[in-house]
Amino acid sequence: MTMTRAELQGAARQAFGEGGLTPHAEKSWSLIAEMGWLMMAVPETQGGLGLGREAVGVIHTELGHALVPGPAIAQMLVIEALSAAEDSPERDDLLARAMGGEMMTASLSSGRKVDCVPDADRASHLLVMAADRVALVPLAGATITPRDTWDKTRRLFDVDVTGDGVTLATGDAAVALGRRIETQLLFALAGDSLGGADAILELTVDYLKTRRQFDRPLALFQALKHRVADMKTWLSAAEALFWSRALDTDATLDEIGALKAHATSVYRAIAEDAIQLHGGIGLTMEHHCHLFLKRATLNAVLGGDTDYWEEQAGRQLLQAG
Amino acid sequence: MTDALETFRQEVRTWLDGAVPRDWRETCATHAGFLAVQRSWFATLAAGGYAVPHWPAPWPGGGRSLAEQKVIYEELARADTPRLLLSFMSTYHAASTLFEWGSAEQQAHYIPRILEGEIWCQGFSEPNAGSDLANVRTRAERRGDVYVVNGQKLWSTMGQFADQCLLLVRTSNEGAKQAGLTYLLLDLKTKGVTARPIHQIHGDEEFAELFLDDVEVPVANRLGNEGQGWAVAQSTLSSERGLTLLELGARMRGALWRIADLIRANGRDGDVGLLRDVGRLATRVDATCALADQFLANRIAGEERVGDASLVKLSYSRTLREFTALGLRIGGLDAQYHQPIIFGGGMETGNWMADFMNSYAWTIAGGSDEVQRNIISERLLGMPREPKSWVTEARS
Repeated sequence: MTMTRAELQGAARQAFGEGGLTPHAEKSWSLIAEMGWLMMAVPETQGGLGLGREAVGVIHTELGHALVPGPAIAQMLVIEALSAAEDSPERDDLLARAMGGEMMTASLSSGRKVDCVPDADRASHLLVMAADRVALVPLAGATITPRDTWDKTRRLFDVDVTGDGVTLATGDAAVALGRRIETQLLFALAGDSLGGADAILELTVDYLKTRRQFDRPLALFQALKHRVADMKTWLSAAEALFWSRALDTDATLDEIGALKAHATSVYRAIAEDAIQLHGGIGLTMEHHCHLFLKRATLNAVLGGDTDYWEEQAGRQLLQAG
Repeated sequence: MTDALETFRQEVRTWLDGAVPRDWRETCATHAGFLAVQRSWFATLAAGGYAVPHWPAPWPGGGRSLAEQKVIYEELARADTPRLLLSFMSTYHAASTLFEWGSAEQQAHYIPRILEGEIWCQGFSEPNAGSDLANVRTRAERRGDVYVVNGQKLWSTMGQFADQCLLLVRTSNEGAKQAGLTYLLLDLKTKGVTARPIHQIHGDEEFAELFLDDVEVPVANRLGNEGQGWAVAQSTLSSERGLTLLELGARMRGALWRIADLIRANGRDGDVGLLRDVGRLATRVDATCALADQFLANRIAGEERVGDASLVKLSYSRTLREFTALGLRIGGLDAQYHQPIIFGGGMETGNWMADFMNSYAWTIAGGSDEVQRNIISERLLGMPREPKSWVTEARS
């Protein structure tokens, strides 16, 4: 890749670092498009930047780090599908519009149902994946039902589409594309989770250093130091796995699924303990702790839940013999 | 994986096919057999060029890329070879410390002997210097060209079989405890050295106590200057916390089949809850291996931070405990019936109760988990250090 991971990370952290947590949705969306993040993984021949999964990983970890709202993950699934579809003027037009920031969305759930669709009320198109056909369907005329989630950093909808839209793949190609999109979704959720886990761990450590009780900073208590040391260890190992699988072009769907289950478990555990370590303040709506816990628990069930992917990892191990 | 690496893997695999001693587990039922297997297997590996792939390039058998090292360790695990326990301290701890602190003469003297099979142990811990290693009291007094050493050392891995010892001693009581330490290389055949094995809870005797009674060590056998012992010891410990875990991680991953076999043997391959547990474990093992890889890559690039090695060690030690605990759980009552251990069989032998008890070796030895957590929170997360003395703290 032309930019190193650290350079890209630095640029992204700068872009989203100043606005604080949960930056304004519309401003964030413009920023994401302006920075060229939506075209990151698209080949240069299609007008993209041609960067690999590692670069995509940087974006998702940074979006998770700042709890950025919006449908970036869904948009990138649409773009991935458009990029993989057969050449046609219609495809080229849609791809260019999606890369430019015209909101198009997709389901973040694991099944074939069209639920967990971020920002469906603002998007122009929806990616629909059936067993033998992948299509991009206009949302005009669709029935869109808002689902109020505990995690307010995401706006999810159930969608009932009408019309066939533009076919992106059929038959075997649709199956292959479906797997590719699913893999991409799981990878993105893993990145989002590890970015969030890193942020809340850092905030927790800072809080322990600042908050004084019994005439000393909480950070002096070994019982608390050891807990955050464990968190740091599990997070570091999960991050190492994330970057190694980002670079592994042979990584299977099950391997990325296991990675996602692991990353969301680490996120959830850290966010869960963060509230305990913050004490009373962590239970208030004004404080940021709960935002991480809610996003963590949502990430854990999107794209297939932890139980499912852990079971698949177990089956893989038994099959490998 | 690249073609070159795949070719290398085939080369290692083919070589191992012809080289692995088939009946080593039976032979290792006795200590004498264990020693014979360890010595001959090390000699075979050294001759084949696979004993010390982690050494730097000029040394024979060294200079392997990180990717090649991983291939070698994975293949060694896959071929179910004896883990090099007897020469573990020699090829990692002693060699790494000598590469970093040894003079050209010291390196030229000791390094080739390691490849010829000379065995090293570590003399750091003492009855009152465990986690608080700086509390070392074994005394070395300089008399002309020699130090005269008196004291007791504990938990010397393979100390009863070793030829040489990495010895941490006190040469001064002035100033900070750390500042009075010096690092010596002790020939264990020297007069006044007594080694006694320690009987461990799972039946093995991998460690020894060393009693040092007016033992003379030439001043020429000192690593670093007098008073620099703490810094030299840190480089020994850091090699253990980081470097060795690439191999141990690869071996743990290579041993996951034991759990898969156990599940099938007990007819529990339809037990979804168990499949999840083993799936979670396998991913944790993968994450630990990825962390060890990243640690080594950073170390090679000169980007290692103080405390990084502790992350790898803690991740490995906790994951190994989970690994052996899961084996013990699935093993059920069968695992409770005593089976004799295989000396040097590795961390994952499938003798689950023994493996489970043996896994404490990594949560206690080489800096306990609690010490690693202190290092991680203080050095990596910037949290305040423990108060120096609880007596002062209590009075203030």
